[in-house]
Amino acid sequence: MTTLVELDGAARWFGAGHTQVTALHPTSLTVGAGELLAVMGPSGSGKTTLLSLVGGLDKPSAGRVVVDGQDVGSLKPRELAILRRRTVGYVFQDLNLLAGLTARENVAIPLELDGRSIGEARAAANAALESVGLASLGDRFPDDLSGGEQQRVAIARALVGGRRILLADEPTGALDSMTGESVMRLLRAHCDNGGTAILVTHDAAHAAWADRVVFLRDGRLVDEAHPAPNPELATTAP
Amino acid sequence: MSVRYGLLALLDEAPSHGYNLKTAFERRTGGSWAINIGQVYTTIQRLERDGLVESLGSSAGDDERREYRITPAGRAQLATWFENPVVAEAPARDELTIKVLLAVAAGDVDVTALLQRQRRASIEQLQAYTRRKAKADPKRDVAFLILLDALIFRTEAEIRWLDACDARIRSLASAAAAPPTAGSKETDG
Ligand SMILES: Nc1ncnc2c1ncn2[C@@H]1O[C@H](COP(=O)(O)OP(=O)(O)O)[C@@H](O)[C@H]1O
Ligand SMILES: [Mg+2]
Repeated sequence: MTTLVELDGAARWFGAGHTQVTALHPTSLTVGAGELLAVMGPSGSGKTTLLSLVGGLDKPSAGRVVVDGQDVGSLKPRELAILRRRTVGYVFQDLNLLAGLTARENVAIPLELDGRSIGEARAAANAALESVGLASLGDRFPDDLSGGEQQRVAIARALVGGRRILLADEPTGALDSMTGESVMRLLRAHCDNGGTAILVTHDAAHAAWADRVVFLRDGRLVDEAHPAPNPELATTAP
Repeated sequence: MSVRYGLLALLDEAPSHGYNLKTAFERRTGGSWAINIGQVYTTIQRLERDGLVESLGSSAGDDERREYRITPAGRAQLATWFENPVVAEAPARDELTIKVLLAVAAGDVDVTALLQRQRRASIEQLQAYTRRKAKADPKRDVAFLILLDALIFRTEAEIRWLDACDARIRSLASAAAAPPTAGSKETDG
């Protein structure tokens, strides 16, 4: 399995001395192609910090974060921007869709920023929208979409142009169970097609779509879960 | 209880005999709720005794061939069952609840570690259910998916409860670690 994400003793602290807060203690973790990883843990345990490091939104205070073979901590701002446009897609908790742009225009942004032609960006945006089941809603503005549809636009934007690494910070927070499930099916399909996704969630039913669930606590990885081999369904009738 | 009404519901559709009832029951419940044939016969005998089903003809002594049909009284009881909500019989008496309560009271058990071991086991179970859900056909396997949803949401509720226990214990611990008067931390807790 090709490693797409690696944390090697990566740590992040804020401030110094007596007021220093350690958001993430030195942590090592690898995530391979095809793998869906879920990160769980109480609020304040360092989940968003970990994801921001992988997404190149933040740099480690110590250790290394390697994404698709590149040491994120040593990249220049321009190189980081390229990594974010071509390799890593991020779905934020509050989605960050631009209200003045249509769904298609929102999805096309990363490609336009990357200097692709309008036509090329538009075609890729349509393909991404189709992959999340929204082919017919490209002309709608975010406010005219349901919560689940907005969620899928945000995922399409994170994946557009064939980005392989999808990072999602509590993306299913406010969704009802069937809508949340359809989002999880998308993430699963992305990974089954050779991509990688890291999902931060407090929702166990969503985390259960992952191949591996890691648990953070007070900035440390404390445990890891893998699917049970033989699921007992409702046993014998009482 | 469920087997009793399950058999009544099947007999409400058409008269049937024991073995057919067993296979039909298993199919209806998503192919995953195994009952043995002895259980079917015992249940039918009770239903017959209570006047809710009756045997057709008289192939005396031959359990396997005997066909049964629902009586009007059986039909009425089945309708009442569908019309009434199910009320949990004995809340909070499961082994896990008791284990956590006793661990909290014991004082020398690492409750946080206990909760995490349980959380991991529950998530692993949930992952296994979810794999089966991902493979199921949403149109053909409706019964199976409904059953899986029941198992998934129950397990999820258990995990939420574990998280709630954890948060309660953490807030107690942090209240104990931060006494109102600062600067008396020489002794190790
Ligand atoms: N920019 C920052 N400055 C100071 N402390 C921060 C900053 N970002 C996060 N933290 C602290 O780091 C810890 C982990 O935060 P975070 O990764 O957001 O947790 P989670 O996403 O699990 O809720 C928290 O205690 C938080 O207050
Ligand atoms: Mg967070």
